Amino acid sequence: MLSLKDVHASYGKAEALHGIDLAITPGEVVCLIGRNGVGKSSTMRSIVQDQISVRGGAVEFEGQSLVGMRPHDVIRLGVGYVPEDRRVFASLSVLENLKVPRPVRDVSRRTWSLDQVFELFPQLYDYRHRTAGVMSGGEQQMLSIARSLLTQPKLLLLDEPHEGLAPKVAEEVVDAIVALKAEGVSMMISEQALHTIRRCADRVYVVDRGVTVWNGTVDDFYANPEITRKYLMVQ
Amino acid sequence: MNVLPKMTPLRWGIAGALIVLLELVNRLAGVGMSLVLTEMLILALFASSLNLLMSYGHMVSFGHAAYFGLGAYGFTLAVARFDVPVELAVFIGPIVAGLGGLVFGALCVRLTEIYFAMLTLACAQITFTVLFQWYDFTGGDTGITGFMNPRFGLTEQNFMTLVLVVLVLCLFAMAWIVKSPLGLSIRSVGQDRWRAEALGLAPRRVQLTVFVIASVFAGIAGTLFAVFQGSAFPDYAGLGFTLDALIMVVLGGLNSFWGGLVGAVILVQLEHWVLMVTSHWELMLGLAVLVLVLVLPQGVVSVAGRLSNMLGLGRKK
Repeated sequence: MLSLKDVHASYGKAEALHGIDLAITPGEVVCLIGRNGVGKSSTMRSIVQDQISVRGGAVEFEGQSLVGMRPHDVIRLGVGYVPEDRRVFASLSVLENLKVPRPVRDVSRRTWSLDQVFELFPQLYDYRHRTAGVMSGGEQQMLSIARSLLTQPKLLLLDEPHEGLAPKVAEEVVDAIVALKAEGVSMMISEQALHTIRRCADRVYVVDRGVTVWNGTVDDFYANPEITRKYLMVQ
Repeated sequence: MNVLPKMTPLRWGIAGALIVLLELVNRLAGVGMSLVLTEMLILALFASSLNLLMSYGHMVSFGHAAYFGLGAYGFTLAVARFDVPVELAVFIGPIVAGLGGLVFGALCVRLTEIYFAMLTLACAQITFTVLFQWYDFTGGDTGITGFMNPRFGLTEQNFMTLVLVVLVLCLFAMAWIVKSPLGLSIRSVGQDRWRAEALGLAPRRVQLTVFVIASVFAGIAGTLFAVFQGSAFPDYAGLGFTLDALIMVVLGGLNSFWGGLVGAVILVQLEHWVLMVTSHWELMLGLAVLVLVLVLPQGVVSVAGRLSNMLGLGRKK
Protein backbone atom coordinates (compact mmCIF):
# COMPACT_ATOMS: atom_id res chain seq x y z
CA MET A 1 0.00 0.00 0.00
CA LEU A 2 2.93 2.35 0.65
CA SER A 3 6.22 2.32 -1.15
CA LEU A 4 9.27 4.56 -1.01
CA LYS A 5 11.84 4.18 -3.76
CA ASP A 6 15.26 5.79 -3.49
CA VAL A 7 13.84 8.79 -1.63
CA HIS A 8 16.09 11.81 -1.23
CA ALA A 9 14.74 14.61 0.95
CA SER A 10 16.06 17.76 2.55
CA TYR A 11 15.30 20.55 4.96
CA GLY A 12 16.20 23.63 2.97
CA LYS A 13 19.74 22.89 1.76
CA ALA A 14 20.50 20.25 4.37
CA GLU A 15 19.87 16.84 2.86
CA ALA A 16 18.54 14.37 5.42
CA LEU A 17 17.66 11.32 3.35
CA HIS A 18 19.97 9.88 0.70
CA GLY A 19 18.09 6.84 -0.54
CA ILE A 20 15.26 5.32 1.45
CA ASP A 21 13.62 2.20 0.06
CA LEU A 22 10.75 0.56 1.83
CA ALA A 23 7.33 -0.93 1.28
CA ILE A 24 4.38 -1.84 3.46
CA THR A 25 1.56 -4.22 2.58
CA PRO A 26 -1.93 -3.98 4.14
CA GLY A 27 -2.19 -5.31 7.68
CA GLU A 28 1.54 -5.25 8.17
CA VAL A 29 3.43 -3.62 11.04
CA VAL A 30 6.85 -2.40 10.08
CA CYS A 31 9.48 -1.01 12.43
CA LEU A 32 11.99 1.57 11.36
CA ILE A 33 15.06 1.42 13.55
CA GLY A 34 18.33 3.24 13.76
CA ARG A 35 20.29 5.57 15.98
CA ASN A 36 19.24 9.11 16.79
CA GLY A 37 19.38 11.47 13.84
CA VAL A 38 19.78 8.89 11.06
CA GLY A 39 16.55 9.88 9.33
CA LYS A 40 13.72 7.88 10.90
CA SER A 41 11.58 10.95 11.58
CA SER A 42 12.57 12.48 8.25
CA THR A 43 11.39 9.33 6.50
CA MET A 44 7.98 9.69 8.15
CA ARG A 45 7.88 13.37 7.30
CA SER A 46 8.76 12.68 3.68
CA ILE A 47 5.68 10.45 3.52
CA VAL A 48 3.25 13.05 4.87
CA GLN A 49 5.18 15.95 3.28
CA ASP A 50 5.47 17.65 6.67
CA GLN A 51 8.01 20.52 6.52
CA ILE A 52 10.48 18.57 4.38
CA SER A 53 10.95 18.57 0.62
CA VAL A 54 11.37 15.35 -1.32
CA ARG A 55 14.00 16.05 -3.96
CA GLY A 56 14.26 12.68 -5.63
CA GLY A 57 12.76 9.21 -5.76
CA ALA A 58 9.14 8.18 -5.42
CA VAL A 59 6.69 8.11 -2.53
CA GLU A 60 3.52 6.27 -3.46
CA PHE A 61 0.45 5.41 -1.43
CA GLU A 62 -2.02 3.04 -3.09
CA GLY A 63 -0.49 3.84 -6.45
CA GLN A 64 -0.73 7.61 -6.01
CA SER A 65 2.36 9.79 -5.74
CA LEU A 66 2.43 11.84 -2.54
CA VAL A 67 5.37 14.05 -3.50
CA GLY A 68 4.47 17.75 -3.43
CA MET A 69 1.06 17.24 -1.84
CA ARG A 70 -0.10 19.35 1.07
CA PRO A 71 0.13 17.38 4.35
CA HIS A 72 -3.60 17.57 5.00
CA ASP A 73 -4.31 16.03 1.59
CA VAL A 74 -2.00 13.10 2.40
CA ILE A 75 -3.82 12.61 5.71
CA ARG A 76 -7.16 12.67 3.94
CA LEU A 77 -5.97 9.92 1.60
CA GLY A 78 -5.72 7.69 4.65
CA VAL A 79 -2.27 8.13 6.17
CA GLY A 80 -2.50 8.74 9.92
CA TYR A 81 0.50 10.48 11.45
CA VAL A 82 1.52 10.72 15.10
CA PRO A 83 4.65 12.87 15.22
CA GLU A 84 7.29 12.27 17.85
CA ASP A 85 6.62 15.38 19.91
CA ARG A 86 2.92 14.35 20.28
CA ARG A 87 1.71 17.91 20.81
CA VAL A 88 -1.86 17.60 21.90
CA PHE A 89 -3.85 20.85 21.79
CA ALA A 90 -3.03 21.75 25.38
CA SER A 91 -5.89 24.13 26.10
CA LEU A 92 -8.58 21.97 24.49
CA SER A 93 -10.30 19.21 26.43
CA VAL A 94 -9.61 15.57 25.60
CA LEU A 95 -12.97 15.32 23.87
CA GLU A 96 -12.32 18.47 21.84
CA ASN A 97 -8.92 17.12 20.81
CA LEU A 98 -10.64 14.02 19.50
CA LYS A 99 -13.16 16.08 17.59
CA VAL A 100 -10.56 18.11 15.69
CA PRO A 101 -10.31 15.60 12.82
CA ARG A 102 -13.31 16.27 10.61
CA PRO A 103 -15.40 13.26 9.56
CA VAL A 104 -14.21 11.78 6.26
CA ARG A 105 -16.68 12.14 3.42
CA ASP A 106 -16.46 8.54 2.26
CA VAL A 107 -18.73 6.71 4.72
CA SER A 108 -17.29 3.29 3.89
CA ARG A 109 -13.94 4.50 5.19
CA ARG A 110 -15.27 5.41 8.65
CA THR A 111 -13.76 2.53 10.58
CA TRP A 112 -13.18 4.28 13.90
CA SER A 113 -15.88 5.90 15.98
CA LEU A 114 -15.41 7.90 19.15
CA ASP A 115 -16.87 5.00 21.15
CA GLN A 116 -14.44 2.50 19.66
CA VAL A 117 -11.54 4.78 20.42
CA PHE A 118 -12.69 5.11 24.02
CA GLU A 119 -12.98 1.32 24.21
CA LEU A 120 -9.36 1.03 23.15
CA PHE A 121 -8.22 3.79 25.54
CA PRO A 122 -10.59 3.65 28.54
CA GLN A 123 -8.64 6.22 30.52
CA LEU A 124 -9.30 8.81 27.83
CA TYR A 125 -13.01 8.34 28.42
CA ASP A 126 -12.54 8.93 32.15
CA TYR A 127 -10.60 12.13 31.44
CA ARG A 128 -12.67 13.30 28.48
CA HIS A 129 -13.55 16.68 30.03
CA ARG A 130 -10.05 17.31 31.34
CA THR A 131 -7.76 19.86 29.68
CA ALA A 132 -5.32 17.86 27.57
CA GLY A 133 -2.33 19.93 28.67
CA VAL A 134 -2.48 18.75 32.29
CA MET A 135 -2.40 15.04 31.44
CA SER A 136 0.71 12.91 31.84
CA GLY A 137 3.02 12.20 28.92
CA GLY A 138 1.67 8.68 28.49
CA GLU A 139 -1.92 9.86 28.47
CA GLN A 140 -1.05 12.56 25.95
CA GLN A 141 0.55 9.94 23.73
CA MET A 142 -2.59 7.79 23.95
CA LEU A 143 -4.67 10.85 23.08
CA SER A 144 -2.39 11.64 20.16
CA ILE A 145 -2.76 8.09 18.80
CA ALA A 146 -6.52 8.08 19.41
CA ARG A 147 -6.87 11.41 17.63
CA SER A 148 -5.02 10.10 14.59
CA LEU A 149 -7.27 7.03 14.46
CA LEU A 150 -10.21 9.37 14.02
CA THR A 151 -8.72 10.61 10.75
CA GLN A 152 -9.69 7.04 9.65
CA PRO A 153 -6.21 6.02 8.48
CA LYS A 154 -5.55 2.99 6.33
CA LEU A 155 -1.96 3.23 7.47
CA LEU A 156 -0.76 4.73 10.74
CA LEU A 157 2.69 6.28 11.13
CA LEU A 158 3.94 6.38 14.72
CA ASP A 159 7.14 8.30 15.28
CA GLU A 160 8.92 7.08 18.43
CA PRO A 161 5.66 6.51 20.29
CA HIS A 162 7.25 6.04 23.68
CA GLU A 163 10.04 8.55 23.54
CA GLY A 164 10.44 10.29 26.87
CA LEU A 165 7.99 8.09 28.74
CA ALA A 166 8.66 6.16 31.93
CA PRO A 167 9.23 2.43 31.23
CA LYS A 168 5.93 1.37 32.76
CA VAL A 169 3.98 3.97 30.80
CA ALA A 170 5.90 3.12 27.66
CA GLU A 171 4.81 -0.47 28.11
CA GLU A 172 1.18 0.66 28.19
CA VAL A 173 1.68 2.44 24.88
CA VAL A 174 3.14 -0.74 23.41
CA ASP A 175 0.09 -2.63 24.73
CA ALA A 176 -2.09 -0.19 22.83
CA ILE A 177 -0.05 -0.72 19.66
CA VAL A 178 -0.38 -4.47 20.04
CA ALA A 179 -4.14 -4.03 20.47
CA LEU A 180 -4.24 -1.91 17.30
CA LYS A 181 -2.32 -4.58 15.45
CA ALA A 182 -4.90 -7.12 16.56
CA GLU A 183 -7.52 -4.87 14.97
CA GLY A 184 -5.66 -5.20 11.69
CA VAL A 185 -4.27 -1.64 11.51
CA SER A 186 -1.26 -1.29 9.20
CA MET A 187 1.47 0.63 10.94
CA MET A 188 4.93 2.00 10.50
CA ILE A 189 6.66 2.64 13.79
CA SER A 190 10.01 4.24 14.32
CA GLU A 191 11.70 2.70 17.27
CA GLN A 192 14.82 2.62 19.36
CA ALA A 193 13.85 0.18 22.10
CA LEU A 194 14.64 -3.25 20.67
CA HIS A 195 12.47 -5.31 23.03
CA THR A 196 9.26 -3.68 21.79
CA ILE A 197 9.99 -4.72 18.20
CA ARG A 198 9.48 -8.36 19.06
CA ARG A 199 6.08 -7.61 20.54
CA CYS A 200 4.53 -5.83 17.59
CA ALA A 201 6.57 -5.83 14.39
CA ASP A 202 6.33 -8.11 11.36
CA ARG A 203 9.30 -6.68 9.54
CA VAL A 204 12.20 -4.41 10.33
CA TYR A 205 13.99 -1.74 8.32
CA VAL A 206 17.31 -0.46 9.56
CA VAL A 207 18.18 3.14 8.69
CA ASP A 208 21.68 4.54 8.86
CA ARG A 209 22.77 8.05 7.77
CA GLY A 210 19.70 8.62 5.64
CA VAL A 211 19.84 5.27 3.85
CA THR A 212 17.91 2.03 4.43
CA VAL A 213 20.75 -0.43 4.96
CA TRP A 214 18.96 -3.65 5.89
CA ASN A 215 15.51 -5.12 5.92
CA GLY A 216 14.02 -8.45 6.86
CA THR A 217 11.62 -10.22 9.17
CA VAL A 218 11.78 -9.83 12.92
CA ASP A 219 13.20 -13.35 13.24
CA ASP A 220 15.95 -12.56 10.72
CA PHE A 221 16.71 -9.43 12.65
CA TYR A 222 17.20 -11.28 15.91
CA ALA A 223 19.13 -14.03 14.13
CA ASN A 224 21.70 -11.46 13.01
CA PRO A 225 23.05 -9.76 16.11
CA GLU A 226 25.82 -8.13 14.04
CA ILE A 227 23.20 -5.79 12.56
CA THR A 228 22.39 -4.49 15.98
CA ARG A 229 26.08 -4.14 16.74
CA LYS A 230 26.87 -2.36 13.51
CA TYR A 231 23.95 0.03 13.16
CA LEU A 232 22.40 0.49 16.55
CA MET A 233 25.04 0.42 19.24
CA VAL A 234 26.96 3.53 20.05
CA GLN A 235 30.53 2.98 18.99
CA MET B 1 -7.68 28.74 30.65
CA ASN B 2 -11.03 28.17 29.12
CA VAL B 3 -11.64 30.55 26.23
CA LEU B 4 -15.20 29.45 25.65
CA PRO B 5 -18.01 31.65 26.91
CA LYS B 6 -19.35 29.32 29.56
CA MET B 7 -22.74 30.57 30.69
CA THR B 8 -23.87 29.47 34.12
CA PRO B 9 -27.28 30.69 35.38
CA LEU B 10 -25.40 33.21 37.54
CA ARG B 11 -23.57 34.61 34.53
CA TRP B 12 -26.76 34.82 32.49
CA GLY B 13 -28.19 36.80 35.38
CA ILE B 14 -25.22 39.16 35.49
CA ALA B 15 -25.30 39.64 31.70
CA GLY B 16 -29.03 40.36 31.80
CA ALA B 17 -28.61 42.80 34.68
CA LEU B 18 -25.82 44.63 32.84
CA ILE B 19 -27.98 44.99 29.74
CA VAL B 20 -30.85 46.38 31.81
CA LEU B 21 -28.43 48.71 33.61
CA LEU B 22 -27.03 49.98 30.29
CA GLU B 23 -30.52 50.65 29.00
CA LEU B 24 -31.45 52.46 32.23
CA VAL B 25 -28.38 54.69 32.04
CA ASN B 26 -29.19 55.31 28.38
CA ARG B 27 -32.70 56.46 29.22
CA LEU B 28 -31.95 58.42 32.36
CA ALA B 29 -28.48 59.95 32.05
CA GLY B 30 -29.10 62.33 29.18
CA VAL B 31 -28.25 62.60 25.51
CA GLY B 32 -24.51 63.05 26.03
CA MET B 33 -24.25 59.75 27.87
CA SER B 34 -26.31 57.98 25.20
CA LEU B 35 -23.82 59.09 22.55
CA VAL B 36 -20.89 57.88 24.64
CA LEU B 37 -22.60 54.53 25.21
CA THR B 38 -23.41 54.12 21.52
CA GLU B 39 -19.80 54.66 20.54
CA MET B 40 -18.72 52.26 23.28
CA LEU B 41 -21.02 49.51 22.04
CA ILE B 42 -19.96 49.93 18.41
CA LEU B 43 -16.31 49.78 19.42
CA ALA B 44 -17.10 46.75 21.58
CA LEU B 45 -18.40 44.96 18.49
CA PHE B 46 -15.36 46.04 16.49
CA ALA B 47 -12.95 44.90 19.22
CA SER B 48 -14.83 41.62 19.64
CA SER B 49 -14.40 40.90 15.95
CA LEU B 50 -10.65 41.39 16.30
CA ASN B 51 -10.72 39.29 19.46
CA LEU B 52 -12.26 36.45 17.47
CA LEU B 53 -9.24 36.56 15.19
CA MET B 54 -6.67 36.95 17.98
CA SER B 55 -7.98 34.83 20.84
CA TYR B 56 -9.23 31.89 18.79
CA GLY B 57 -7.33 32.03 15.51
CA HIS B 58 -4.15 33.33 17.24
CA MET B 59 -3.74 35.70 14.30
CA VAL B 60 -2.64 39.21 15.24
CA SER B 61 -3.87 41.70 12.68
CA PHE B 62 -2.34 45.17 12.48
CA GLY B 63 -4.91 46.25 9.95
CA HIS B 64 -8.31 45.34 11.26
CA ALA B 65 -9.63 48.88 10.78
CA ALA B 66 -9.59 48.23 7.02
CA TYR B 67 -12.73 46.12 7.41
CA PHE B 68 -14.34 48.62 9.76
CA GLY B 69 -13.68 51.27 7.10
CA LEU B 70 -14.87 49.06 4.26
CA GLY B 71 -18.09 48.43 6.18
CA ALA B 72 -18.61 52.14 6.72
CA TYR B 73 -17.77 53.05 3.11
CA GLY B 74 -19.65 50.10 1.63
CA PHE B 75 -22.76 51.39 3.31
CA THR B 76 -22.10 55.09 2.70
CA LEU B 77 -21.16 54.77 -0.96
CA ALA B 78 -24.13 52.53 -1.65
CA VAL B 79 -26.42 55.24 -0.29
CA ALA B 80 -24.58 58.33 -1.52
CA ARG B 81 -23.39 57.17 -4.95
CA PHE B 82 -25.82 54.42 -5.97
CA ASP B 83 -29.00 55.64 -4.28
CA VAL B 84 -29.53 52.32 -2.52
CA PRO B 85 -32.16 52.65 0.22
CA VAL B 86 -30.54 52.74 3.65
CA GLU B 87 -32.48 49.70 4.84
CA LEU B 88 -30.77 47.65 2.13
CA ALA B 89 -27.42 49.43 2.30
CA VAL B 90 -26.86 48.36 5.92
CA PHE B 91 -26.37 44.84 4.57
CA ILE B 92 -24.04 45.99 1.82
CA GLY B 93 -21.52 47.41 4.31
CA PRO B 94 -20.75 44.08 6.02
CA ILE B 95 -20.74 42.27 2.67
CA VAL B 96 -18.17 44.69 1.24
CA ALA B 97 -16.07 44.23 4.39
CA GLY B 98 -16.36 40.45 4.01
CA LEU B 99 -15.26 40.61 0.39
CA GLY B 100 -12.34 42.83 1.38
CA GLY B 101 -11.47 40.27 4.03
CA LEU B 102 -11.64 37.50 1.45
CA VAL B 103 -9.26 39.23 -0.97
CA PHE B 104 -6.77 40.58 1.58
CA GLY B 105 -7.13 37.50 3.78
CA ALA B 106 -6.28 35.12 0.94
CA LEU B 107 -3.05 37.09 0.58
CA CYS B 108 -2.27 37.42 4.29
CA VAL B 109 -2.84 33.83 5.45
CA ARG B 110 -0.01 32.71 3.19
CA LEU B 111 2.24 34.09 5.90
CA THR B 112 2.28 33.60 9.65
CA GLU B 113 3.00 35.56 12.81
CA ILE B 114 4.82 38.87 12.39
CA TYR B 115 4.85 38.55 8.60
CA PHE B 116 1.12 37.99 8.65
CA ALA B 117 0.71 41.06 10.85
CA MET B 118 2.84 43.23 8.55
CA LEU B 119 0.87 42.13 5.51
CA THR B 120 -2.43 42.98 7.20
CA LEU B 121 -0.97 46.39 7.97
CA ALA B 122 0.00 46.86 4.32
CA CYS B 123 -3.49 45.87 3.16
CA ALA B 124 -5.07 48.31 5.59
CA GLN B 125 -2.79 51.11 4.40
CA ILE B 126 -3.77 50.37 0.80
CA THR B 127 -7.44 50.62 1.80
CA PHE B 128 -6.82 53.84 3.69
CA THR B 129 -4.89 55.39 0.80
CA VAL B 130 -7.57 54.54 -1.73
CA LEU B 131 -10.27 56.04 0.49
CA PHE B 132 -8.08 59.06 1.19
CA GLN B 133 -7.12 59.90 -2.37
CA TRP B 134 -9.93 58.79 -4.66
CA TYR B 135 -11.69 62.16 -4.48
CA ASP B 136 -14.20 61.53 -7.28
CA PHE B 137 -15.63 58.45 -5.66
CA THR B 138 -14.88 58.41 -1.94
CA GLY B 139 -14.65 62.13 -1.39
CA GLY B 140 -11.02 61.79 -0.30
CA ASP B 141 -9.98 63.29 3.00
CA THR B 142 -13.15 65.38 3.25
CA GLY B 143 -15.14 62.16 3.50
CA ILE B 144 -18.80 61.82 2.69
CA THR B 145 -21.32 63.73 4.75
CA GLY B 146 -24.93 64.78 4.64
CA PHE B 147 -26.16 61.86 2.59
CA MET B 148 -28.64 60.67 5.20
CA ASN B 149 -30.20 61.50 8.50
CA PRO B 150 -27.71 60.36 11.13
CA ARG B 151 -29.01 57.37 13.14
CA PHE B 152 -31.83 56.86 10.57
CA GLY B 153 -33.39 59.87 12.24
CA LEU B 154 -33.83 57.97 15.50
CA THR B 155 -33.34 59.75 18.81
CA GLU B 156 -29.98 59.24 20.50
CA GLN B 157 -31.59 56.97 23.09
CA ASN B 158 -33.45 54.80 20.62
CA PHE B 159 -30.41 54.42 18.40
CA MET B 160 -28.32 53.31 21.38
CA THR B 161 -30.92 50.64 22.11
CA LEU B 162 -30.77 49.49 18.50
CA VAL B 163 -26.98 49.21 18.65
CA LEU B 164 -27.25 47.30 21.93
CA VAL B 165 -29.59 44.79 20.29
CA VAL B 166 -27.27 44.36 17.29
CA LEU B 167 -24.26 43.89 19.59
CA VAL B 168 -26.01 41.23 21.66
CA LEU B 169 -27.11 39.37 18.51
CA CYS B 170 -23.57 39.54 17.11
CA LEU B 171 -22.11 38.23 20.37
CA PHE B 172 -24.53 35.30 20.27
CA ALA B 173 -23.49 34.61 16.68
CA MET B 174 -19.79 34.76 17.63
CA ALA B 175 -20.30 32.44 20.60
CA TRP B 176 -22.16 30.02 18.37
CA ILE B 177 -19.33 30.07 15.81
CA VAL B 178 -16.68 29.55 18.48
CA LYS B 179 -18.49 26.51 19.86
CA SER B 180 -19.28 24.98 16.46
CA PRO B 181 -17.05 22.38 14.74
CA LEU B 182 -15.71 25.27 12.66
CA GLY B 183 -14.77 27.02 15.91
CA LEU B 184 -12.91 23.92 17.04
CA SER B 185 -11.00 23.88 13.76
CA ILE B 186 -10.19 27.57 14.22
CA ARG B 187 -8.92 26.99 17.76
CA SER B 188 -6.86 23.93 16.83
CA VAL B 189 -5.23 25.63 13.84
CA GLY B 190 -4.60 28.68 16.03
CA GLN B 191 -2.84 26.60 18.63
CA ASP B 192 -0.74 24.45 16.35
CA ARG B 193 -1.21 24.63 12.62
CA TRP B 194 1.18 21.76 11.87
CA ARG B 195 -0.60 19.41 14.22
CA ALA B 196 -3.98 20.44 12.86
CA GLU B 197 -2.66 19.77 9.39
CA ALA B 198 -1.43 16.33 10.48
CA LEU B 199 -5.04 15.65 11.42
CA GLY B 200 -6.32 16.51 7.98
CA LEU B 201 -7.32 20.16 8.42
CA ALA B 202 -6.32 22.70 5.76
CA PRO B 203 -4.87 25.49 7.94
CA ARG B 204 -4.96 28.29 5.38
CA ARG B 205 -8.57 27.61 4.50
CA VAL B 206 -9.54 27.65 8.18
CA GLN B 207 -7.56 30.85 8.75
CA LEU B 208 -9.12 32.52 5.74
CA THR B 209 -12.58 31.56 7.00
CA VAL B 210 -12.03 33.14 10.42
CA PHE B 211 -10.46 36.19 8.75
CA VAL B 212 -13.56 36.71 6.61
CA ILE B 213 -15.89 36.15 9.58
CA ALA B 214 -13.96 38.70 11.63
CA SER B 215 -14.07 41.12 8.68
CA VAL B 216 -17.85 40.81 8.38
CA PHE B 217 -18.32 41.59 12.08
CA ALA B 218 -15.92 44.53 11.79
CA GLY B 219 -17.97 45.60 8.76
CA ILE B 220 -21.16 45.52 10.82
CA ALA B 221 -19.46 47.75 13.40
CA GLY B 222 -18.24 50.08 10.64
CA THR B 223 -21.70 50.31 9.11
CA LEU B 224 -23.22 51.13 12.49
CA PHE B 225 -20.57 53.78 13.01
CA ALA B 226 -21.34 55.41 9.64
CA VAL B 227 -25.04 55.43 10.48
CA PHE B 228 -24.25 56.82 13.92
CA GLN B 229 -22.16 59.65 12.53
CA GLY B 230 -24.15 60.11 9.34
CA SER B 231 -20.80 60.33 7.59
CA ALA B 232 -17.74 58.36 6.56
CA PHE B 233 -14.10 59.44 6.72
CA PRO B 234 -10.91 57.66 5.61
CA ASP B 235 -9.79 57.66 9.25
CA TYR B 236 -12.23 54.82 9.87
CA ALA B 237 -9.81 52.57 8.01
CA GLY B 238 -6.75 54.24 9.54
CA LEU B 239 -4.12 53.18 11.99
CA GLY B 240 -5.86 54.91 14.88
CA PHE B 241 -8.83 52.57 14.79
CA THR B 242 -6.59 49.54 14.35
CA LEU B 243 -4.58 50.54 17.41
CA ASP B 244 -7.74 51.24 19.43
CA ALA B 245 -8.99 47.75 18.62
CA LEU B 246 -5.69 46.14 19.59
CA ILE B 247 -5.56 48.14 22.83
CA MET B 248 -9.13 47.17 23.67
CA VAL B 249 -8.47 43.48 23.15
CA VAL B 250 -5.28 43.53 25.21
CA LEU B 251 -6.79 45.74 27.94
CA GLY B 252 -9.86 43.58 28.18
CA GLY B 253 -8.02 40.32 28.05
CA LEU B 254 -6.63 38.21 25.27
CA ASN B 255 -7.82 34.60 25.22
CA SER B 256 -11.19 35.47 26.63
CA PHE B 257 -14.46 35.75 24.80
CA TRP B 258 -15.28 38.96 26.65
CA GLY B 259 -11.92 40.66 26.08
CA GLY B 260 -13.04 43.03 23.32
CA LEU B 261 -16.21 43.98 25.12
CA VAL B 262 -14.54 44.76 28.44
CA GLY B 263 -11.72 46.60 26.67
CA ALA B 264 -14.17 48.83 24.84
CA VAL B 265 -15.98 49.71 28.07
CA ILE B 266 -12.69 50.66 29.72
CA LEU B 267 -11.29 52.60 26.76
CA VAL B 268 -14.39 54.65 26.04
CA GLN B 269 -15.30 55.32 29.66
CA LEU B 270 -11.71 56.21 30.49
CA GLU B 271 -11.63 58.66 27.60
CA HIS B 272 -14.96 60.16 28.59
CA TRP B 273 -14.15 60.72 32.25
CA VAL B 274 -10.48 61.59 31.88
CA LEU B 275 -11.25 64.29 29.32
CA MET B 276 -13.45 66.00 31.92
CA VAL B 277 -10.48 66.37 34.22
CA THR B 278 -7.54 66.80 31.91
CA SER B 279 -6.90 67.08 28.20
CA HIS B 280 -3.92 64.73 28.44
CA TRP B 281 -6.07 61.75 27.60
CA GLU B 282 -3.44 59.88 25.59
CA LEU B 283 -1.01 60.16 28.47
CA MET B 284 -3.56 58.66 30.84
CA LEU B 285 -4.35 55.89 28.38
CA GLY B 286 -0.67 55.08 28.05
CA LEU B 287 -0.29 54.90 31.81
CA ALA B 288 -3.40 52.75 32.11
CA VAL B 289 -2.09 50.31 29.52
CA LEU B 290 1.29 50.23 31.23
CA VAL B 291 -0.20 49.52 34.64
CA LEU B 292 -2.60 46.91 33.31
CA VAL B 293 0.01 45.04 31.34
CA LEU B 294 2.28 44.92 34.40
CA VAL B 295 -0.39 44.16 37.01
CA LEU B 296 -2.88 42.17 34.95
CA PRO B 297 -1.03 40.63 32.01
CA GLN B 298 -4.14 38.60 31.17
CA GLY B 299 -6.34 41.66 30.98
CA VAL B 300 -9.14 43.00 33.09
CA VAL B 301 -11.30 39.95 32.39
CA SER B 302 -8.96 37.87 34.57
CA VAL B 303 -10.00 39.93 37.61
CA ALA B 304 -13.36 38.17 37.73
CA GLY B 305 -11.67 34.76 37.80
CA ARG B 306 -9.22 35.83 40.48
CA LEU B 307 -11.97 37.31 42.62
CA SER B 308 -14.13 34.22 42.39
CA ASN B 309 -11.12 32.07 43.25
CA MET B 310 -10.43 34.22 46.32
CA LEU B 311 -14.05 33.94 47.38
CA GLY B 312 -13.94 30.18 46.93
CA LEU B 313 -16.43 30.28 44.08
CA GLY B 314 -13.84 28.86 41.70
CA ARG B 315 -14.56 26.01 39.40
CA LYS B 316 -15.05 22.73 41.13
CA LYS B 317 -13.56 20.58 38.42
